[in-house]
Amino acid sequence: MAKLTIPAQELLRSGHSACPGCAPALAMRLMLKGLGPRTIVSIPACCWTVIDTPYPTTALGVAMLDNPIESTGASISGLRAAADALGIPDVTILGFAGDGGTADIGLQALSGMLERRTNAIYAMYDNEAYMNTGVQRSGATPLGAWTTTTPVGEGSHGKAEPKKDVMGIVLAHHPVYAATVNPSFPEDFVKKVEKARDLSGPRFFHIFAPCPPGWRYPSDQSIEIGKRATDCGVFPLYEVMDGHYHITRKGGALKPVREYFQAQGRFSHLGDADLDRVQAQVTADWNRLVRLESET
Amino acid sequence: MAAVIEIRFHGRGGQGAVVASELLAQAAFLDGKWPQSFPFFGVERRGAPVTAYTRIDTHPLGVRTSITTPDVVVVLEPSLLRTQPVTDGLRDGGLLLVNSSHPAEELVLPAGGRRAAVDANRIAVTHGLGSLTMPIVNTAMLGALAAVTDVVSMEALDRAIQEFVPARRPENQAAASDGYHDVRVVGGTLPFTPSVPRAAAATLPLPEGPMASESSERYHTADWRTLRPVIHLEKCTRCNFCWKFCPDDAFSFDAEGYPVLRTDYCKGCGICAVECPPRAIEMVEEA
Repeated sequence: MAKLTIPAQELLRSGHSACPGCAPALAMRLMLKGLGPRTIVSIPACCWTVIDTPYPTTALGVAMLDNPIESTGASISGLRAAADALGIPDVTILGFAGDGGTADIGLQALSGMLERRTNAIYAMYDNEAYMNTGVQRSGATPLGAWTTTTPVGEGSHGKAEPKKDVMGIVLAHHPVYAATVNPSFPEDFVKKVEKARDLSGPRFFHIFAPCPPGWRYPSDQSIEIGKRATDCGVFPLYEVMDGHYHITRKGGALKPVREYFQAQGRFSHLGDADLDRVQAQVTADWNRLVRLESET
Repeated sequence: MAAVIEIRFHGRGGQGAVVASELLAQAAFLDGKWPQSFPFFGVERRGAPVTAYTRIDTHPLGVRTSITTPDVVVVLEPSLLRTQPVTDGLRDGGLLLVNSSHPAEELVLPAGGRRAAVDANRIAVTHGLGSLTMPIVNTAMLGALAAVTDVVSMEALDRAIQEFVPARRPENQAAASDGYHDVRVVGGTLPFTPSVPRAAAATLPLPEGPMASESSERYHTADWRTLRPVIHLEKCTRCNFCWKFCPDDAFSFDAEGYPVLRTDYCKGCGICAVECPPRAIEMVEEA
């Protein structure tokens, strides 16, 4: 057998209730491979609170706390304070929240946790809409995407506003470590998680999390969609440590964004002019990232 | 029949069970009745078992509860007969309507019940509704329901499809019509053998603390799938990609390092087949 490139230990159990082909489920599997068993996970209302349960069962091989959608940042602050008070410093506290619970509803608690320098990891798995309630747009939904609240038809052409820059918001708080990860690149994912695990202070992950029903593509394409997102520059892989940017995957020239957009039903209404505009923005964002890497 | 008619739909996420319950209510409203419809608030995942309810009265409805003693049970996915207690609470003299290519005579029911079967998969595929592996059968099933009960008129159903179905209206109208004409119903009695004992849910031991401590591996999510991976070991290079990318942790390894499918848990997403570099995994239709 070829050598395993990621840890063998499984802390995500089978029998969970994620949809077939769910990238957020794979993301949790990889996250716990990196963090190991000495972890407490706090999960707000989101797909993952349903994936983990129903009571009295759990799909996690570590302790899990279920919390209200706006509270992830506050709850991991409390968990850390409790662990410290009880004299158990060698536990990793992880908040694992969706994009709605992070970029919109939980933004205040996230900001507070970062600003208080809470010694915990906050991970946003970004499936780019409120998927658990049936595909409503969030602040993290990208420009042009179809959702049930940004329909396609007369007077509406998908989401009219661009995606919120959550990494930018987080980095404005100067965390110890922040990184983007993508389950289509498991080795990079786990390596960054292991690095974050061994640091102390506020840490953040932006996880790319394709959703077959919400993005309207077949369930066997989740990994392919993720690869295209990174290789087209839509979701670049990088980390920022103490203010220093480091791009962790550079595959030569970026592929055209069309390869990513045209694989998904939620973008099927976009025409050449729309995609040209998206391409210009993605290229500009990528160039800015490359510049930040060389300047920091 | 009593003035109130209660219908319970069982399907899989993606088949349109929730839309069926809503569409039936819309049609009943067009018939001048007082309907309500709502889904069971649970795991509405693609492929997961889904339950939805429609209640129809000739007078305003006060009751707002879920339906536990239905007059009619509509099953959109035949494999649910094996894994879900679909006939639980079905009233004496009630009707079980099943999407099945098998004749109605083969359906097991409480004594005195009526049963009906219609091959809604075939109808849906004929009219291009959904895909081969996941046909959208709700309108064909509602057409069959209109034929074998007086719950709703075919005229109202046809109008409801025209007004409320978001896409492919002519195809859905044709599917409803085919369901109306193709459904077969039989009466008679057969011994009742519930596929899942009703007591099972009630006898779960209470946990000792506030922690959920039982493993989710109790749930065999294999019954969500319509496709199954078959590993051709002669092509396998033991690269582990199938294991690495599986969101359900549905692969283990044998002593020589070859992948072994944990068949109880694979949901049939097909990622392993797409990611396998030597193309050693093939997705085949679940028997």
